[in-house]
Amino acid sequence: MVRAASAVLLLVATCVLSLVVGTYPASVSSVLSAVVSPGNGGDVDAIVWHVRIPRTLTGLLAGSALGVAGALMQGLTRNPLAGPGILGINSGASFAVVVAIGLGVTAVNGYLWFAFAGAGVAAVVVYTLGSLGGGGATPVKLALAGAALTAMVGSMTTIVTLLDAATLDEYRFWAIGSLTRAGSDALATVGPFLAAGSLLAVAVGGSLNLLALGEDMARSLGARLVVVRVLSAVAVLLLAGAATVIAGPVGFVGLAVPHIARALTGPDYRWIMPYCVVLGPILLLLADVVGRMLVQPEQLQVGIVTGLAGAPFFLYLVRRRKVAQL
Amino acid sequence: MSVADPPERVYAAYQPAIELAHALGITDRLVGTAFLDAKVLPEYVDQQADVDYVPSLPSREALLHTEPDFVLSGFNGFFAEESADSSVGTRASLRELGVQSWILSPLCPSEDGLTDRSIDPAEVEVETIYRDLRDLGALFGVEDTAAEVIGDLKERIAAVEDKVADADRPSVAIVSPEADGSYRVASGTDFGSHIIDRAGGTNVFGDLAEKRNVEIGAEKLVERDPDVILTDACCDGQLTEQDARSEVGAIEGDPALAGVTAVADDAVHPFLFANRSAGIRAAHSIELVASLLHPDLVD
Repeated sequence: MVRAASAVLLLVATCVLSLVVGTYPASVSSVLSAVVSPGNGGDVDAIVWHVRIPRTLTGLLAGSALGVAGALMQGLTRNPLAGPGILGINSGASFAVVVAIGLGVTAVNGYLWFAFAGAGVAAVVVYTLGSLGGGGATPVKLALAGAALTAMVGSMTTIVTLLDAATLDEYRFWAIGSLTRAGSDALATVGPFLAAGSLLAVAVGGSLNLLALGEDMARSLGARLVVVRVLSAVAVLLLAGAATVIAGPVGFVGLAVPHIARALTGPDYRWIMPYCVVLGPILLLLADVVGRMLVQPEQLQVGIVTGLAGAPFFLYLVRRRKVAQL
Repeated sequence: MSVADPPERVYAAYQPAIELAHALGITDRLVGTAFLDAKVLPEYVDQQADVDYVPSLPSREALLHTEPDFVLSGFNGFFAEESADSSVGTRASLRELGVQSWILSPLCPSEDGLTDRSIDPAEVEVETIYRDLRDLGALFGVEDTAAEVIGDLKERIAAVEDKVADADRPSVAIVSPEADGSYRVASGTDFGSHIIDRAGGTNVFGDLAEKRNVEIGAEKLVERDPDVILTDACCDGQLTEQDARSEVGAIEGDPALAGVTAVADDAVHPFLFANRSAGIRAAHSIELVASLLHPDLVD
């Protein structure tokens, strides 16, 4: 309980940090008074309500979605290297959105569906590729398939943007994730999908615990494997697709957060999931705050920061045998 | 051919180089042109229609295929060793093949093969364009035309400077909205700063000097609070100010910027990236910016 309370406290502190830190020099007290009494005009009010709060909300939603999606993927495939970034799900969603924009679908509630479809196709392709050959879908084979797909989809995204000058302007966001794009309307549009994905994730948590014992054991304990798999997959597509729509393709959050949660709670997915909801935004928002401070007056997109910090973590997971068994 | 002969087969890359070639009257020597940022100035439309044009920069092979003896470039990325833009190789590597080259001085890097970051700010000046015109005029054997062009530019710019000499100097930002919600602005190392300066304003980001274009967040724009914002639409051979309206809409539509003076005062104007490039467009751009900053003094 103490652990859960301190995690939530840390999240609150991170949100405050995200509201206070920025290139506009606003004092902590002026930011807090703008939060408490909105609409009194002035620069701080505009920045707090139209820059920092949307940015923080984007981090909250995308961070928890990616964390939960990563936990689902790791539980479902019993693969410690699984995550929506590593396995190419985010890139697939991102590419599909670029195609949608190229086709003239520019509204969020339009290309959201492309993102889900792109995430789904990427998941199927990576799982199929990773299962080929002897030994089935081993963690490293899946990660390799994900890396291959990410590289290919990245090239295809470049091609689409080169063919169409209008999407070229969009390219940077769909190649590197960022929390500065989504406005309140975009967040409101994806909100219900994120909620649905999270509810599904909570619902399958117990079954993922059984799955961790092995398929045969899970089946004999009464788990309906097909139902669990389908529900988990739908939840992953909803969460990763919607997160990509608001934050672009952000890597490593979905990989790292479930491991941190597992280290805190142990292997029970009914606990891992809520911890991911809290830890995902902490990690993503901290990365974003670092990105705001490193290269002033410019800003590093959050996708660059999570990539820099996440790659060593990924290598550590690959090298460490003990985690390699879920 | 000997080095002293004026170049006969010229390849012009980027808007400033293309327009400058037409201005010097060497259109018939152009074997190829590439990468316009906007429609050429009205006085060169007919000339441009007569030459080969590709919207993207050529590869090294495609460039050499046109058998140029001279390459004139408006930006340095064309010869940069490690460039995000496609590069045709360093100027030294072209020289080995007998192809001479020229980068307009306000964008010329301190050493062959380098990029934007190595520009000498002292070279970013309207005067360096006159010097380039004079030197290129001599090189192409068209000194008289060059002198005429220089005289015309000087006269037009001086006329503007005269009119705005005693006026207040509003702060101006050249701003391009990015897809991720951030903005790209022109720094003090960019020629745009000098256009604003001559037109009777100051670049509100003039103190940033590390590179020509700087990516900032909306917060920085609010902090600097420019009186006037010029957009930065780019990169299509048919682009006109009319096409920059969408950038105006994006800037005016960002609720975070609602309190910025330029937005509140309805002073966000459609403007083209081509207009802030260093070249013979300088007079046109200075006149245009002056008419936006000081409508009562300049038409």
